[in-house]
Amino acid sequence: MNLPKIASISKKIVVACVGLFLLLFLLVHLGINLCLLRPDDGAWFIAASNFMGTNYIVKVFEVVLFAVLFIHIILTIALQIQNWKARPVRYSQPSRSKTSAGSKTMIWTGGLVLCFLVLHFANFYFVKLGWVEGKYMIKTEELFSTELQNEYMAATQGKLSEEETAEFQTKMEKINAVAVKAEAEGLSSSDMKWILNLSAEDVEPLEGIVEGVEPDFYHMSYELFQNKAYSIIYIILFIALAIHLVHAMQSAFQTLGLNHNKYNKFIEGFSWIYAIVIAVGFAIIPIYIMFFV
Amino acid sequence: MNFTLKIWRQENAKAKGRFETYKVENISSDCSFLEMLDILNESLISNKIAHPVCFDNDCREGICGMCGLYINGRPHGNDDGVTTCQLHMRKFKDGETIWIEPWRAKAFPVIRDLVVDRTAYDKIIQAGGYVSVSTGGVPDANSILIPKDKADKAMDAAECIGCGACVAACKNASAMLFVSAKVSHLALLPQGKVEAANRVQKMVEKMDELGFGNCTNTYACEAECPKLIKRSNIARLNREWICARVGKEK
Amino acid sequence: MNTLDSKIPEGPLAQKWTNYKANQRLVNPANKRKLDVIVVGTGLAGASAAASLGAMGFNVDIFCISDSPRRAHSIAAQGGINAAKNYQNDGDSVGRLFYDTIKGGDYRAREANVYRLAEVSNNIIDQCVAQGVPFAREYSGLLDNRSFGGAQVSRTFYARGQTGQQLLLGAYGALSHQIARGTVKLHERHEMLDLVLVDGKARGIIARDLTTGEIKRFAAHAVVLATGGYGNIYFLSTNAMNSNGSAEWCCHKKGAYFANPCFVQIHPTCIPVHGDYQSKLTLMSESLRNDGRIWVPKKKEDVEALRKGTLKPTDIKEEDRDYYLERRYPAFGNLVPRDVASRAAKERCDAGYGVNNTGLAVFLDFSTAIKRLGRDVIEARYGNLFQMYEKITAVNPYETPMMIYPAIHYTMGGIWVDYELQTSIPGLFAAGEANFSDHGANRLGASALMQGLADGYFVLPYTLQNYLADEIYNDRVSPNTPEFENAEAEVRQRIEKLMSIKGTKTVDHFHKKLGNIMWDYVGMGRNAEGLQKGLTLITELEQEFWKDVQVTGTPDSMNPELEKAIRLADYFELAKLMAKDAYHRNESCGGHFREEYQTEDGETLRNDNDYMYVAAWEYQGHNQDEILHKEPLVYQDIEIKQRNYK
Repeated sequence: MNLPKIASISKKIVVACVGLFLLLFLLVHLGINLCLLRPDDGAWFIAASNFMGTNYIVKVFEVVLFAVLFIHIILTIALQIQNWKARPVRYSQPSRSKTSAGSKTMIWTGGLVLCFLVLHFANFYFVKLGWVEGKYMIKTEELFSTELQNEYMAATQGKLSEEETAEFQTKMEKINAVAVKAEAEGLSSSDMKWILNLSAEDVEPLEGIVEGVEPDFYHMSYELFQNKAYSIIYIILFIALAIHLVHAMQSAFQTLGLNHNKYNKFIEGFSWIYAIVIAVGFAIIPIYIMFFV
Repeated sequence: MNFTLKIWRQENAKAKGRFETYKVENISSDCSFLEMLDILNESLISNKIAHPVCFDNDCREGICGMCGLYINGRPHGNDDGVTTCQLHMRKFKDGETIWIEPWRAKAFPVIRDLVVDRTAYDKIIQAGGYVSVSTGGVPDANSILIPKDKADKAMDAAECIGCGACVAACKNASAMLFVSAKVSHLALLPQGKVEAANRVQKMVEKMDELGFGNCTNTYACEAECPKLIKRSNIARLNREWICARVGKEK
Repeated sequence: MNTLDSKIPEGPLAQKWTNYKANQRLVNPANKRKLDVIVVGTGLAGASAAASLGAMGFNVDIFCISDSPRRAHSIAAQGGINAAKNYQNDGDSVGRLFYDTIKGGDYRAREANVYRLAEVSNNIIDQCVAQGVPFAREYSGLLDNRSFGGAQVSRTFYARGQTGQQLLLGAYGALSHQIARGTVKLHERHEMLDLVLVDGKARGIIARDLTTGEIKRFAAHAVVLATGGYGNIYFLSTNAMNSNGSAEWCCHKKGAYFANPCFVQIHPTCIPVHGDYQSKLTLMSESLRNDGRIWVPKKKEDVEALRKGTLKPTDIKEEDRDYYLERRYPAFGNLVPRDVASRAAKERCDAGYGVNNTGLAVFLDFSTAIKRLGRDVIEARYGNLFQMYEKITAVNPYETPMMIYPAIHYTMGGIWVDYELQTSIPGLFAAGEANFSDHGANRLGASALMQGLADGYFVLPYTLQNYLADEIYNDRVSPNTPEFENAEAEVRQRIEKLMSIKGTKTVDHFHKKLGNIMWDYVGMGRNAEGLQKGLTLITELEQEFWKDVQVTGTPDSMNPELEKAIRLADYFELAKLMAKDAYHRNESCGGHFREEYQTEDGETLRNDNDYMYVAAWEYQGHNQDEILHKEPLVYQDIEIKQRNYK
């Protein structure tokens, strides 16, 4: 993959800019994830993730985010291939120059993070797209939309034909199946609350009848993190991400020409703090769930 | 002191190379690394073992930038802020095995044994690493005032000897430290500012064209530079590049 | 014995160069493109000449022995470059610089050339600053100066301890600019092996491509030799390993006179020899003598204890130290010219006061300066030199005094040139250290850089043009003439001969032996008997060389052994000429110290009546006596005195 028309420094500047954007996104993502730890049965988490999933501005950002991620990956791979080509015959002895480990393994830690992303998408984002099954949720009010209530009124007043009545009853049975679950949780239709932890089987019949079925990331997360193997992989990958980030942030500043004797120490310290905050912040969730739930 | 040497031997640019093992004995600890190789070569000739090992060297006082060997995984060997000719055997352990390789980079092809072709550096300089002034017709030297700290910083960058250790050390064989040293030297001085935007673009273009890798801010170059050229120059190069591109008129 | 015409222009000294420029012939731009010039060497003189000629519009081919022009040994000059700017308001002037240089050279340099050198010195600084050379600055932003040996003013411009490097990079930049423009073509890793004459004029060179071993011909309308000096004849010197005298020697063999070959400068401040495996000597800049004080112990028992290692130099009390330069030369103190300082060190060591386990070293002590100025100031001034010293010797010079000893550094002698820098072969010019012209019998510190750049930037562009004005009537020179064929065949023969000896000893073995002979008999102190003996020893060694040298490898590949052998073969002949020249000059002057001719204080004793001339030697064939030509030195504007630095 050669992009000869773009100068090396231009490519690096783009990588640095999109990298910094991704750093900011991580912080937002972390903020939402940490809501999982609140003892509020996921109220904050659900509110936040629902906002992220439905807000139109956020949806625009989602497109930008994917574009940015794609550019970051493509450019770094292109740069890396050039870098490998720049030394066709390698040294027989490993380098003993004093450098940080993180800086030399960016492509590998980055690759690990990419693998994790695929897994992460399979677990969460694809559920949203409907490509993969997961847990679902729906708001109680949605079960009884005005349309349905009108239909109910019509049925009770005998305004429906036999066929229509039969159809309506089938609908109601499907809705009831979910409503029963909600009642079991102590929810009634007027509560305006989420009916959570619904399986695909639960929500499939609702297709075409009821709007507003959303993935239930809260329960999906809990379920995943209760799987110890997954949690351990998750933690290890966040350590890799931290190694990636420590170098990434300093490196981005350097690439953008922001290097000054007065501030270099600060930037370095900040990169470490940022990377640790991100890694610890994300990793604390599976640890909490594994050991305290 | 006694050493076992594993030295890269390669007849010419096209030949296949290999490592050969030689032993040297009774080396004084005050002996420089290149003098140790002289002793080896003398014995290779006298004992009719092999053609002497070719290696570049000239001033042997660390300023010409001609010498450069990759010794035990480090350009210019196991000492900081020195060229190979200033490396002394007291830095090694008696009986040690020493691996000696040429600079490895696509842009620095091997000519013979440990000698590489570094004309790529000259080509980068020819692309614009100068002030385009012809002889004569220049103003009085003291008519250009330069703040001392600026002059000192320019001098820090100008100390680069063009040995190629930065490329040799870099895992990507990137020449950014070399290019940035030259760009910084001239960009910091009023004389160089006039052409700064054009210079940085031309030099970077040439650097890319010659097949050097991309800088990933690993700073092995800084760690191995015999003249201790700093990474801040690379940041300055990036700044100069951004300013030049942003301000570029088509 | 013939008298040489140096073509000095008419008029008063200060007007000569102006008059010359006003009356010289020029070449119009259209014709410049049709004229080819070969420049051999990419040091300060070569690079600046090629860059200037290229900028003027001539077609230049430049040859470089290393992989890049930037490697030339000018790069190693540390201290600085002189110019008569008088920025310090300490009474400097063109006249003063001229006078100091003539006096420093012990009245053996050509007056008109030196005056011109002093005159253009100011332009050099302007030119270099315009190129972006980062000279040291004062806080005002103005240029800073320091003082150097042989001068009572501060006229030396410097860039830390790397002035030569920065000036060379400036010239290399100018050269690169011309290469990019296409006016100059660079041939790196090429070594000149012969000069080609056509109808008595220099018309090209034969060069060997050091990468492939290929022998190539290059033709031009004129050839400029800027290949530096021949100090490596001593094996151990401060010169770079590849610096050599072969280009000069092959021109000499083709008819260029060799002037004052015995004038060799011995630099007083080098790191002492420490073993027989040593390949070169490292110079510690003369600028160190600004703040460093040179001494040896006063008492023999202290000397003994130092050599045994039972006493440290810092333990020796102030009153037991002999600051012999300050004692003998109170006016100039530690800043006497190089030849004086070197001989004074030799005198002390010969008297048994030398330190180091060899007894061949003296102390250069900074403790007084560190006390006075603080360590920071000393570090800012000489940090890189101190670091270099520590890397080589593993001794920290901030705490323990440095040990230094004189070493071969520069050759004032070289190819004879007239005022136009043209040699005795028409069309062959010599510049920089390769010519003999400006330093007489001793060069002052910071003057080599000045001379190289003066020749390249401000002299050759005029004088070469004057020569080329006639050449516009000649077509491009073809390299396919019998003259080129013969020259190439000769070179091939020489190489074949060396390769076919297949003896038992290495080239370096012979070179080290030659170096020892030269140092012992044609070194710092010479006498008639020793020179005769040296001559015999050189001849014997040369014969042995041609019987028993072993040159490995093949001629058609990169072969450093062959390169060294070719150079050494020439050194033998040059060594004999040096000994002969030293023998013939029955006087002491500057770097040429004949022990028979000294004052009661052990200073040089000149013989101005008989030897106030340049000795230019004409080659007559191998082992044939060379013919001496004399160029009388006439001083119109200077009163000739015994040099006195007291």
